[in-house]
Amino acid sequence: MDFVIQSLVIGLTENAPLVLAAIGFALLYRLTGLINVAYSETITLGAYFGMWINTTYGLDFYTVLVPAGLLAGLVSVASYLLVFRAAKQRGVGVLELIVISFGLSIFLRHGLQFVFGYPVRFYDVPPPDTIMVLGVGVTSFRLLALVSVAVLALLLYLFIQRSILGLKIRALASDEDLAQVSGIRPLAVTTLIWFIAGVAGGLAGAFYGVGSNVAPLLGWRQFLLILMVALVGGSWGLGGVILVGVGTSVALAAMALQFDQVLYAQLVLIVAFVAVLKVRGRRLTETAKV
Amino acid sequence: MNLDWLDAFLITGLFEVVMVIGLGLLLHLQLGLARIANFGVVGFWGIGMYAFGVLYVRVDWPFGDPWQFLVCAAAATLVAGVAGLLVGWLIADLDTDGVLVGTLGFATAVQILAITEDDLTGGARGMGGLGFPYDIGRVKDNEFLWLVIMAAVVVAILLYVWRVHRSPYGRLLIAVGGNEPLTRSLGKSTFRAKLWLFTVTSAAMGLIGAMNGVMARYLDVGNIGVGVTLAAMVGLVLGGTARVWGAVVGVILTVGLFDIVVQSYLPLPQEWYTQAIPVLREAAFGLTLMIVLLFRPFGLLGDMRRDKLMGKIHGR
Amino acid sequence: MVADAVDAVAVTRPRIRVQGAVKSFSGRVVVNVDDLVLGDRPIEGLIGPNGAGKTTLMRMIMHSTPLDRGEISLLPVDGRDVVLSSLPAHRIARHGVVKSNQVVMDFDKLTIWDSLLLAVAEARYEQPHRIFSERAVFERHEDEIRHYLAYFGFADPAAFAMSAGEKKLLDIVRCLLLRPTVLLLDEPTAGLPEDLTERLMDVVRDLAAGGTSVVIVEHDLNVIWSLCDVVTFMAEGSVLLKGAPQTIRENRTVVEKYLGHGHV
Repeated sequence: MDFVIQSLVIGLTENAPLVLAAIGFALLYRLTGLINVAYSETITLGAYFGMWINTTYGLDFYTVLVPAGLLAGLVSVASYLLVFRAAKQRGVGVLELIVISFGLSIFLRHGLQFVFGYPVRFYDVPPPDTIMVLGVGVTSFRLLALVSVAVLALLLYLFIQRSILGLKIRALASDEDLAQVSGIRPLAVTTLIWFIAGVAGGLAGAFYGVGSNVAPLLGWRQFLLILMVALVGGSWGLGGVILVGVGTSVALAAMALQFDQVLYAQLVLIVAFVAVLKVRGRRLTETAKV
Repeated sequence: MNLDWLDAFLITGLFEVVMVIGLGLLLHLQLGLARIANFGVVGFWGIGMYAFGVLYVRVDWPFGDPWQFLVCAAAATLVAGVAGLLVGWLIADLDTDGVLVGTLGFATAVQILAITEDDLTGGARGMGGLGFPYDIGRVKDNEFLWLVIMAAVVVAILLYVWRVHRSPYGRLLIAVGGNEPLTRSLGKSTFRAKLWLFTVTSAAMGLIGAMNGVMARYLDVGNIGVGVTLAAMVGLVLGGTARVWGAVVGVILTVGLFDIVVQSYLPLPQEWYTQAIPVLREAAFGLTLMIVLLFRPFGLLGDMRRDKLMGKIHGR
Repeated sequence: MVADAVDAVAVTRPRIRVQGAVKSFSGRVVVNVDDLVLGDRPIEGLIGPNGAGKTTLMRMIMHSTPLDRGEISLLPVDGRDVVLSSLPAHRIARHGVVKSNQVVMDFDKLTIWDSLLLAVAEARYEQPHRIFSERAVFERHEDEIRHYLAYFGFADPAAFAMSAGEKKLLDIVRCLLLRPTVLLLDEPTAGLPEDLTERLMDVVRDLAAGGTSVVIVEHDLNVIWSLCDVVTFMAEGSVLLKGAPQTIRENRTVVEKYLGHGHV
């Protein structure tokens, strides 16, 4: 029982940013059909922006979250307007789009080092309090991360599913021509999607960063897991992503406790997710035109 | 043979170029012909390198070099080939998203195992003990000979790729990459075609990895990150994804530019070479990938010219 | 042309049997065929309004579209029945069942030579180690390929097929080169000039006379009436009628749902 509680608490608090990042990524994937490898740099840049504002202006972590998220959102929008929109207008295919996003990811990951420097950076924050949750010690940052992620996930879910703007977003995702005829402005709505996804990623990055350190590979290290959670969970909508994300978080913690090696946990998850995709993949032959 | 004029960095730089050309040529068959987006090139190269290294160093062989090298290299090629068979089986009926996850997942798994199984691999500390299967003099002499051998292997791969374009097999790969359902309707098993392609090309990537292990004489988990995949990809894309010589041209202009020209011939401040240049290299590669695919997607050499090829081979 | 559809079938022909085959897309039933046998007569026609499910049925036979329910089998002249709907798509052609495409389907990167050599190349030559086999494949099949190139007027086989009509024709020639026992043609004459339509019809007649069962989906009814021994009429996913061309032509339901009164 101890083991279960520990896994739950540690899993949810330590990996809450994963769920938030997965939601942002899945939003982009489901609504634009694009796998954006550079999304991992939105996460990394969120961490860097937060750290930079924190260390330059001496603001505390909770305050820097907002600008960190907003700046990351702007980077996301910029990448859409400058790169992906241009690509789409030139009729670039699915495969090439992924490679382009890969190139952008590499470019940002290394380019940022000319701005923020090469060494690993740290948030300048006082050591967080440790709070006991169900008998497990959790830092206040991690708890905040969990609460924020839960609130943001809920807000996003409600926004996409219930609001009029959310309806427009979903309409645009399913049929762009029809949406346009119905008076939805694709550019405005798509930009909004990219912005929201960017904010989600940036906030996730800030939470990751404050908990350990800020390094160029911060986002990339999480990318595979985010990708798998979004692809597997995404077929059941945003709710599915949240569920699979939470399940993955808990599984990660449980296995890390069991194997005493967090990398093995990742390995097991990779195998599991690939197996799920393989089994599901067989159903993709419906749209043959031959 | 007096190799004093040959800078040590130049030999390693040339080796890097030749090696990445080899990977790029194999990626051309996968990506350029069959349109399989392999984001895990480093995984097959890495598993070959580590399988070779572990077998070479950890096993007490009853014979010495060159047999020890040959046996271990053959085993490494086999291991990489089996990995290619497994991953190929996983991805052959998945869409591009699935292929991304499968190949990237495999490369990540290889990285993870190299770190966790540190009894075998040396883990994050690394592992030495590899060496050339011969000794003809100074280190530089040995390295130079190894460079020549590597070049011979890559020339063989180039010749193979050149022949594939002119054979029914190559035509099938292009058909699979162009319109898979249509190819299937002609009675071709596209799954099997992709599977064997992936197996054979992965085995070759593993061999190249093993040969790199020998050159480096040291296994370092830092080397099996995404940078190798990136180098092969940007070289191929810049030169021309669909062309036999695409990888050759592109890799010379990317890896060659940084690892030879910038490394050895530009008079830049010494401290730049520790961090600024390597970071700039990756950033430039990423930027190149974007720019080429946005503005000249078929690369410098352009698209395949099968009309010219068929005219030459079969006339009118 | 055989005018009397009640003739006893003199020769067994390869046939396709569709039993209880149902296919839905997004909740809408697109095909629902209870019992249909194609191939009793040499050349059969399949007509019906747009959305009748003709192309989907053809795709179900080729198993490029999976069935929700039911079974489709090949009843060959000799040998056991083959359940096509349980085979993977690439095996269908190996049993001699071949279909041309209604929507233009082509290999953008392959020339006309390429396309046709692809169709005829045997599997044993298409392996990773057979990198010197081009000459062998070419020499085995050069004559039959050149025959079709000349017959349909392809001027430059080393070039790419450019117009939609050329690509359509290329698609059909690929099918012919596969030596089909059952040939399904989905709107083959759409986009073809008059003279090529004539040539195609001659080829179809020759094939059928040689024992191949041909099924043609067409909107060009002149082709149907002049070529087919039997016509099946589909609408809203089901087979409504099957019979001699003249019978179909005069049937009230067919006229109302499809032909319009100008045809009778």
